Amino acid sequence: MSLDIIRDNQFNIGHICTRQQCELGLGDKVAMRWVSPHFERQDYTFNDMERLTNRFANVLSGLGIGAGEVLFTFLPKSTEQFTAFLGSLKARCITGTLFSNFGEDALLDRLGDSGARLVVTKKSLYRKIERIRSQLPALKVVILTDVSEHISENVLSWERLLAVASDEFATVVTSADTPSVLHYTSGSTGKPKGVLHRHRSVLHQNRTTREVFGLQPDDLFWCTADQGWVTGTSYGIIGPWSMGVTQVHFAGGYSAQHWFELIQKEQITVWYTAPTALRMLMREDGALFGQFDLSSLKAVFSVGEPLNPEVIAWGSDKLGKAIFDTWFQTETGAIMIANRPGLSIQPGSMGKPLAGIDPGILADDGAELADGEHGNLCLRAGWDSMFITYLNNGSAYASKFKDGWYYTGDMAWRDASGYYWFLGRSDDVINTSGHLVSPFEVESALLELPEVAESGVIGAPDDLLFEKVVAYVNFRAGTEFTPELELKIRLHIANRLSSVAIPQEVIAVESVPKNKSGKIMRRVLKARYLGLDAGDISTLEE
Amino acid sequence: MTTIEEITPVFREVFDDDSINLTRSMTADDVEEWDSLTHMNLVIALELKFKIKFALGELQTLKNVGEMLDLINRKLSR
Repeated sequence: MSLDIIRDNQFNIGHICTRQQCELGLGDKVAMRWVSPHFERQDYTFNDMERLTNRFANVLSGLGIGAGEVLFTFLPKSTEQFTAFLGSLKARCITGTLFSNFGEDALLDRLGDSGARLVVTKKSLYRKIERIRSQLPALKVVILTDVSEHISENVLSWERLLAVASDEFATVVTSADTPSVLHYTSGSTGKPKGVLHRHRSVLHQNRTTREVFGLQPDDLFWCTADQGWVTGTSYGIIGPWSMGVTQVHFAGGYSAQHWFELIQKEQITVWYTAPTALRMLMREDGALFGQFDLSSLKAVFSVGEPLNPEVIAWGSDKLGKAIFDTWFQTETGAIMIANRPGLSIQPGSMGKPLAGIDPGILADDGAELADGEHGNLCLRAGWDSMFITYLNNGSAYASKFKDGWYYTGDMAWRDASGYYWFLGRSDDVINTSGHLVSPFEVESALLELPEVAESGVIGAPDDLLFEKVVAYVNFRAGTEFTPELELKIRLHIANRLSSVAIPQEVIAVESVPKNKSGKIMRRVLKARYLGLDAGDISTLEE
Repeated sequence: MTTIEEITPVFREVFDDDSINLTRSMTADDVEEWDSLTHMNLVIALELKFKIKFALGELQTLKNVGEMLDLINRKLSR
């Protein structure tokens, strides 16, 4: 455990990422270089971040939102995201982040389960909350970042609120165990679960930022992850700022031209991105890469899904850079296992565990397995960034632990050199572009359509997305499966859940295989899709 | 009715946003929900609306809505 960033027992993440950096003499250093899609640049120093986050913490106090209460940001990439996140942590609120592409069902599940009191969003996204607001009795206030005047007594203007808030805020000394960040994650059954972290997580987020990325004071770090994702908060906010490193945040979406222009123009030194993005870059015209000077880049890191060896070879060939794969989960809060400078890269492997992280490969009966044997990837419980519960679901939390081990849900093996190798999930959860999608949620949303009698949803291998969502659908009698109906399905899933949950294939079937208890046998569908033997189907319904 | 007037309701339906008012200079960065996955929804919706087919990757190279309009108009021989 490294406590060198903790001063006077202050574990508050918001304080450490702003005020503490100012106290360390970095007040005038750029904390965030904000680059618009059109390459307009705006710098925010640590002094600026301190003032802005103080203002937001004071806004919350003024609204009567206090310690332990839940608020969410529901924003695309925007500067307010960072102010709201750190300001609310200073106020000791529990702070959640929502992907801006979430639909109404996804929002209702998360805002409803958490009893969220406040949401910070944009006018164009507020319409989704407006439609479900009557089902959210705990939701007290919505703050809109792009209106100049208050809309009503509980739909307020960010600009107006911050304009009159004080720059001064004394963050209460916050204990390590105080709840901090909330991210929802999908499982193979049931509703998404709220993964709750505590302020202590900053220790491991800081440590891994130093030890994996090797960041130095003069580095310029770019993490492409959306803040709706744990990577976007752990490493797009907390890790680098907890050690006073400047971050670039780019508001534009994927564009090979723009991304490389950004790296060249801003002289980015360390880049953290995702395999899907790297695979998209691999598909670009090879001549593109030669047009840019990427000499500032020291290393590229990746997270979200296993990184195929071909990507690592491409990085070396076309970019002249090593690409290091890292592994962690929403529940682990920070990187657990990684390839990193100083270790020889084993292409396709997850890497080796970080100091203080004790993984094991366990059989289903809990027996520890030897090198080379396939089993459950588990972590010895107790690391600093370990989640503290699934909100309102203690039984699900307890089910993840046995005999002092946390069961990650991933299957893996360890080689004789100590490298870990990912095999797949032990459940039906679909990992598409690094996002976990619950087949149950997609099946439930499909059933909302009058044309759908039943459905079974699986993840199938995909060259770009790692896994894609595939829906087997039994349509009601008299329904013709037309391109218009397929579009209707795709739009419905996008608008109810999110764009990542859109089925990339919809396959019409006469029936969906179920066992005698009525449970959808997704492994039978997956075997059918892959053209494999379905194995034991003795429990299949007649 | 101009092509931009014809595709505006398509955009509004695909991105579930009645406030979208298209201009030729708009890009995916200007529409909240427009990402690489919803882009496929847009492609399918436009193909169905105009009864045309886009070649693989044909829409990926377009820089903005204006170029998309030009491509649609070319396919419709307008």
